[in-house]
Amino acid sequence: MEFPQSFRDHLLRSSGLTVFLLLWELAPRLEWIDPDFLPAFSTVMVEVCELFQEGALQIHLLVSIWRGVTGLLLALALGLPLGLVLGRYYRDLAETINPLLRVLSQVNPFTLLPVFILFFGIGETAKVAVVAWVCLWPVLFYTITASREVPLILVKTAVSMGASSEEMLLKVIVPAALPTIFVGIRIAACLTFYILVAAEMLGAGAGLGWLVHNSAMNYQIPRIYAGAAFIILLGFLLSRFLRYLERGLFPWQFEAMFQLSGEPAQLAWRPRKAASIAFACTVLVALVIGGFQVDKINRASAQGGHTGHHGHQTMAEDAPGGPAAGGHGSMHHGGTSVPSKGRGSDLDMSDMTMEEEH
Amino acid sequence: MKSLIVKRIIAVGIALSAWELLPRLGIIDPLFIPPLSQVVVTINGLLESGELPTHTLISLQRAFSGLTAAVLVGIPLGLLLGGWFPRLQQGVEPLMELFAQANPVILAHIIIFFLGIGEGAKIFIIGWLCIWPITFSTIAGIRDVEAQLVKAARSFGLGRGSLFFRIVLPAAAPAIFTGLRLSAGYAFIMLIASEMMGASSGLGWLVVQSQESYHVQRIFAGAVVITALAVITDLLLKLLERRTVIWTNTGELDICDTHEPKRVNLYQEEAP
Repeated sequence: MEFPQSFRDHLLRSSGLTVFLLLWELAPRLEWIDPDFLPAFSTVMVEVCELFQEGALQIHLLVSIWRGVTGLLLALALGLPLGLVLGRYYRDLAETINPLLRVLSQVNPFTLLPVFILFFGIGETAKVAVVAWVCLWPVLFYTITASREVPLILVKTAVSMGASSEEMLLKVIVPAALPTIFVGIRIAACLTFYILVAAEMLGAGAGLGWLVHNSAMNYQIPRIYAGAAFIILLGFLLSRFLRYLERGLFPWQFEAMFQLSGEPAQLAWRPRKAASIAFACTVLVALVIGGFQVDKINRASAQGGHTGHHGHQTMAEDAPGGPAAGGHGSMHHGGTSVPSKGRGSDLDMSDMTMEEEH
Repeated sequence: MKSLIVKRIIAVGIALSAWELLPRLGIIDPLFIPPLSQVVVTINGLLESGELPTHTLISLQRAFSGLTAAVLVGIPLGLLLGGWFPRLQQGVEPLMELFAQANPVILAHIIIFFLGIGEGAKIFIIGWLCIWPITFSTIAGIRDVEAQLVKAARSFGLGRGSLFFRIVLPAAAPAIFTGLRLSAGYAFIMLIASEMMGASSGLGWLVVQSQESYHVQRIFAGAVVITALAVITDLLLKLLERRTVIWTNTGELDICDTHEPKRVNLYQEEAP
């Protein structure tokens, strides 16, 4: 059902989208809607290209992705081992602290943002911590469930074949649990993308959410749409990509589906060891480079914004501030959430020192 | 079972006393994490001053207006698309998937252009957020109704109407409830975000306000109340599910059911 089989299917599936985009293009052009409020689709796309040429899009994309990936990796580093241990070795403990974990998982990440800001300052760490918090729970719960519900027959077979406990863990339990764990990771990633962008609107000096927020502050309406469209597209692609990856990595989960659709299992590629190590290294290097870049961007926006610093906005309702042009990076917006004016520069300092730890 | 409950109570007790003792003993800076008792006192103070009930009521009202709107639109929409117009559903599915990705908080500024900064915008944000999980899981629920049930009902001579209301809808109900619970969870998360962004009332505003005046205890009080509301809402929905969908085994009523809500086999169910 997800794999269109013919041209007609493609046509049918894209029809809704086409009609929507046509309406979006025509309604403002024919003045059904005030084009100042709703710019036509083509105008928005031109704006996206402009943002891209300015380099603003890449910068903020980089910042957002860096935050997201760092947080996700932190959550994985914490959630995977914890979940495995709780699900596999300390089941009673898992049962016992389950209510606690459930309640903790319901703690709203946005109410935690102020708390994390108190802890870590208004730098990157608070945002990364929020992302990690959001990601931790799906990862943890799915890992616990997955490692607890490894089919007993697999475990018994391995035992009767004389598998050591290490082999058991690495060759039986982890592979059997991985597909379910991956579902948790996918949910975490999609949810995080959603929440990260919103958090960036609340208090950040860079990032995709900030880009949109800043455009709104400066009444650059096409730019709001451009940023939002880009974010939506990105989220869409992210969830599609993760689904594709899931199918590619764990084809046995989808056997029935493949049989139904007559699709051969050609998507089933197995990552080789070298490839996985190379991938991990790339991610690490990218994270480090990204960290430096994010640091640089934050510094630039902190320094560039010192003149107009005291006038910076606190909330969506406030008047537009800062120069309309060069919206990216030139305006300090670091402390939306802690906007006590007299202490602005102190906070900046703490911001900087936080960054230096990266 | 009894011993498990006792153990759980003990675990919660340990966690709560850790929250009380660690700041008191100075292991954690009490300026950053105030001990539990202080938070409780703060909540009590907020209750007595009437601030907390007012803002809670406002937030709840927003959340439930949005959720109700989403239910009123989403379930019929899902029923129509899943049950009657499967071709249309195929046509609009990618579009709906994109819409589900459209984070309403990102669009908040645009929504405010159209609806003003009043309640309308906030309710729209919540409604938009909630409608997609509900619609998608309704579609999936309808699609996954066992063909045998439908065939059996047909061969017993049920008409279209009663087939729908007595077979299809009950069979899809568990999936619909899953969507509803997902929606309610997201609604709370994003409601707080949108109240933090631009509002002058509500619990999110209360937290931001306390943060601006460095009222750490109030931040924690707000966080505790919001968490409690989310937990209670989820419990109530579970209770409702157990009362109305009695034909499926939804298990123990417990905040801590060990399984995730049964994920329906459709890819949008987790896209908030």
